[in-house]
Amino acid sequence: MNSIKWLSIILITFVIIAGIAVPMVPQPQSFFEFPDIPGLGNTARIIFFHVPVAWVSVLGFLVSLYYGLKYLRTKEYDDDIKSVSAAGLGMLFCLLATMTGSLWAKFTWGSFWNWDPRETSILILLLIYGAYFALRSALGSNEVRARLSAVYAILAGLTAPFFIFIMPRIIGGLHPGAKEDASGSTPITQLHMPLNMLFVFFSGLIGFTLLFIWLLNVRIRTLRMEHRLLMKDY
Amino acid sequence: MYEFLGQNQLYIVLFVILIIWIGIVLYLIRLDKKIGRLEKQLGKD
Repeated sequence: MNSIKWLSIILITFVIIAGIAVPMVPQPQSFFEFPDIPGLGNTARIIFFHVPVAWVSVLGFLVSLYYGLKYLRTKEYDDDIKSVSAAGLGMLFCLLATMTGSLWAKFTWGSFWNWDPRETSILILLLIYGAYFALRSALGSNEVRARLSAVYAILAGLTAPFFIFIMPRIIGGLHPGAKEDASGSTPITQLHMPLNMLFVFFSGLIGFTLLFIWLLNVRIRTLRMEHRLLMKDY
Repeated sequence: MYEFLGQNQLYIVLFVILIIWIGIVLYLIRLDKKIGRLEKQLGKD
């Protein structure tokens, strides 16, 4: 666990420094220069943060689905704790992805919110998981809550890939990867980046994934302690 | 002053984000340690 923590700190710090400080020039000559993308300029740097954050959000929802399934099979309360922790982090990172995306949209598409297919689908996803937490808080008993929210986590987790990977691609839109997008890029990875940008990009993906594991670990341990203390009282 | 800020926008952004990031990381490390200590205490009882 310690190496995960340190690696995530090092990688994300590296991404912050390299992603922001490396100059963007029209004709990059050395390894320490990024190409200047016409129309995007310095705002292109958001990609080093926006995409990893969105990725971690999907990861959180899928981990939540996995532990939801596991809970239904084992009925171990620990799996419910893992499922809800992952969903919470997925929600947090989903909000961050929406905010960074909205900021980026302001400077490239002209307004914070345009109801682009991708913006609409992430809003629906946020609402779906908002309902998950509303459901949980409405149920008192641990066992009923765990069972129902496990079922909901599975259903919600199944829709997540649809909203993130499929819907924005079958409808035309402004986001890279939309239906009429001629560049052929995908919303997950823009693989026609030069090597040095790819390096920073994947460092970000790995760094944020490790940060997710760390945060998940802290959250799970806290909820486990809470559970133990509650059990003691009875 | 304004000239300096205008010419170094990118580095100012970098600096601010680094400070925020370091703050969050230090907080997280301390929180993690604190939870570890609590786990030990709970384990004893």
